[in-house]
Amino acid sequence: MRQHPLVLGLLALSLAAPGIGAEPAPPATSQLAGNAVDPASIQALRKMGAYLQTLQRFQVRTELSSETVLEDGQKLQQNASAEVQVQRPNKLRARMWSARAERELIYQDRSATLYTPALKYYATAEVADTIGGMIDQLEARYGVQVPLSDLFLWGTDAAPLDRIESAMNAGQDLIGPDLCDHYAFRQGKVDWQIWIRTGESPLPRKLVITNRTDEARPQSVSYLAWNLKPGFKDTIFKFTPPRDAQAIGIRPLNTK
Amino acid sequence: MQKTSGRLFLAPLSALLLASFALAPLAEARGGGGGGGGHQGGRGGGRDVQVNNSQRDVRATNVRNTSVNNVNVNRNVNVDVDRRGGGWNDNYHPVATAAAVTATVAVTAAVVGSVVRTVPANCAPYNYNGVVYQQCGSTWYQPQYVGSDVQYVVVNPPR
Repeated sequence: MRQHPLVLGLLALSLAAPGIGAEPAPPATSQLAGNAVDPASIQALRKMGAYLQTLQRFQVRTELSSETVLEDGQKLQQNASAEVQVQRPNKLRARMWSARAERELIYQDRSATLYTPALKYYATAEVADTIGGMIDQLEARYGVQVPLSDLFLWGTDAAPLDRIESAMNAGQDLIGPDLCDHYAFRQGKVDWQIWIRTGESPLPRKLVITNRTDEARPQSVSYLAWNLKPGFKDTIFKFTPPRDAQAIGIRPLNTK
Repeated sequence: MQKTSGRLFLAPLSALLLASFALAPLAEARGGGGGGGGHQGGRGGGRDVQVNNSQRDVRATNVRNTSVNNVNVNRNVNVDVDRRGGGWNDNYHPVATAAAVTATVAVTAAVVGSVVRTVPANCAPYNYNGVVYQQCGSTWYQPQYVGSDVQYVVVNPPR
């Protein structure tokens, strides 16, 4: 989309240099303030979603900071990480870890297994044989959320763009070495921002989600690092219980 | 803490070889066997890192029950917060809270069907008919996944 990212990048720098306060007020003919949905921003999401759907085999890692709100409104920020390895349409392996917990999710065909290394317990559930279906079923049936599940939903009907109530282009930013377009959206009680790499491979590089249901507005910030030529083998998608690991059940939602 | 550090220092190779899970009490509310309960440090997901929260202020665990971390846009926008808040990283179960729940259950003689996040330190694993249990004195627990966390249901003795 952007033909001359370098030029635009320099422009952005020169604008920022005098300081935000020095920028002129926007002309009266600019967009109405408020909830306007900028079609180009929606189109950027659509383009990113379509591109993500074309990726057949990849690995993506995220570093996440998310906030917990204490009773008095003070916020604490916690860190977590996840790495997801994917072979479409029906193979995925995810590892999620923090100082508090570690989980693995191993999915292939119609079988998804959750494993907790510290306890050596695992549980296996039968699921759909597509990644999107598996994500839906794990959440709907068991309350299990797959990390970075957005990546598999953008570009599909499960991520409807017509529910976005406000969309704007917030300029450009560097995420690591990548020049990115920065977009901001409002949708229900959620504000979110995304940084999409400019050019021919529009990968999401950063995601910020703000929860407006709590007046303290807890936020999560995820940075994403991509490997589109991963070295893993398909054998990683088959769960072989480690020695001493034991199978336990997984409780369906809405059963007492 | 110092002892733990020493062990790590002496055995860097074994830590690299993933043998390290057995080293210490775990942050994951480990069932029986290793024991140690929830008050001590434990192993996080870092694989070669020892986590010790013993210095943490108790206020840090006084979390609003409405506090929700959205980490996926499309999975949270319309989510029913009452059903199950949080995202895949929703694993911040304060140790103090978990211990308090366990203590309460112990005092009230562990009602069958109640669920706890951790079991006491004195439990022993027990397998019966292919089912995994934790026996803690006269109380029996069956581990199960609730969401992506392992929790323990108080059950009748498997006999």
